Amino acid sequence: MTDHVALGRLASVETEQAEAARNRAAAERGDAPLLPSERLWGFWEFTYANSALAIATWAFLIGGSVGLFVGPKEGIAAIVIGNIVGVILTALATTPMSGRYGVEQFVALRSQFGYNGSRVVYVLAVVVLTMGWLAVLAMMFGRSIDGLMALSSGEAANPTGAKMIVAAIGAILLTWFIVAKGPTSIKFFNMVVSPALVLLMVAMLYLILSHHSIGELLALPALAPPFEDKTLNFVVAVEVNLAAGFSWWPYIGNLARLTKNERTAFWPNILGIFGAAALGEIVGLLAAVALGESDPTIWMTKIAGPMIGIVALLFVAFANMTSMANILYTSIVGLRQVGTVSVRAISWGTILFLFCLIPFGLVIFYPQMYDGFFIFLVWTSALNSALAGIGIADYFFLRGQKLDMRSLHGPQENGPYRFWAGFNPIGLFALAVGFIVYVAVFNPQTLASLPAFKYLTASVPSCLAAGAAHYVLTRLFARGRGWGQYP
Amino acid sequence: MEHNDIAWQSELSRRARIYEDIEAGDRFEGTMTKLDYTGMTVLTLVLVVGFWFWGA
Repeated sequence: MTDHVALGRLASVETEQAEAARNRAAAERGDAPLLPSERLWGFWEFTYANSALAIATWAFLIGGSVGLFVGPKEGIAAIVIGNIVGVILTALATTPMSGRYGVEQFVALRSQFGYNGSRVVYVLAVVVLTMGWLAVLAMMFGRSIDGLMALSSGEAANPTGAKMIVAAIGAILLTWFIVAKGPTSIKFFNMVVSPALVLLMVAMLYLILSHHSIGELLALPALAPPFEDKTLNFVVAVEVNLAAGFSWWPYIGNLARLTKNERTAFWPNILGIFGAAALGEIVGLLAAVALGESDPTIWMTKIAGPMIGIVALLFVAFANMTSMANILYTSIVGLRQVGTVSVRAISWGTILFLFCLIPFGLVIFYPQMYDGFFIFLVWTSALNSALAGIGIADYFFLRGQKLDMRSLHGPQENGPYRFWAGFNPIGLFALAVGFIVYVAVFNPQTLASLPAFKYLTASVPSCLAAGAAHYVLTRLFARGRGWGQYP
Repeated sequence: MEHNDIAWQSELSRRARIYEDIEAGDRFEGTMTKLDYTGMTVLTLVLVVGFWFWGA
């Protein structure tokens, strides 16, 4: 009898433990807020995770693009200025609320845009950004393989040729296969690739400095400055880096929710994302300007010679695959989180493949995107800078840093974040205002700008305009209509 | 996974209540203070102004 009672109790404890584990797993996926006791990342753990995310091959690409506009001295200044402003504003908009409440970023966004509006924002900010980066990184992979084959055979490389396209499509298919297998394989690649990329950067820096003194490097001219006005070229370079800083908006909130508190959610972004991304970009910039070529897959073969060049290109191809797997996995997990029942019903492998179709199209029909990839990056800032402005205005100035976990996670149809049919027209209007201000001040496609651009950039006015529009209109109209549970 | 069941709703309620208690008792740990915001502003200004004069 006693044994039966003990066994019954044991079974009950096991059931409770299994239930707790299920609940925690659901909270980790974003279905519920993570409790302070469930969040394990301290300052250094988050710094390492951030650095691993920031140290990727795209840092070489961005650094090389900066070298098109300005020389190394102005370029380093532009990298520091653009990244610190972009990262600080992005981190302010996303990480304090995640660090305080452990809330999933796009669930928290229901308080700013409504439960359907947050889905629209997800598609605009995450899906478009990820599809573009997948295509760019696949093309970088393809160019690495093309360069590799050219080095081996002694022939000239053809960066937009059939070999590149076939290799890029292969890279996307392989990424699809890896991600379809699940996150374990991705974690393994991350552990190997991030430290190895740091070593590669140090080796590249050593090789550059062994051929040029620091004084010589800093005095080198830009590769292809588009304007005669040096200040305008410099501010365009700052804008590219602001865009790089703001481009973390879709990702860092959901990493920060794993940290213990607000401080550990915020400060590691300065060391990890700002520090690591700036370091990688500076290496890319110095190499590009010193070797007269902004494409990393070409300057790597020039700087290191054929043998080391082959190893470096193989590694870059491998590292690109890891970055592609990371962003694809994160985006699809989020898509299923914000998606409707019909989206959730699509199988994991199928939804991954469908997501890859547009990157396939970009690789096949628009391979020129790679050379002008900074245009794509700057376009994303028209959206991300406005989102950061709205986030700061809403969380700090309208809500006094208070969110209601019950309303955010409960049934939405009749909740306070229903706004107007699930959309907050004020938030979405403010987003449009920020976007329009950005494009009016600086057109990413043509690089045409208003005179104010030289003094203000485009991302900063966009961020301010969106934040101000959201604040004023919410104060004027939202409370009277009972929208959004504003205090 | 859909969480329509009563158990999940009570779990959500439990988590929300924990945060409501922390909020009511003002017991959030490691909150950002004026010192953090001042430090962040000074750091940004120093880097922007310093590198602007050095590089631009």
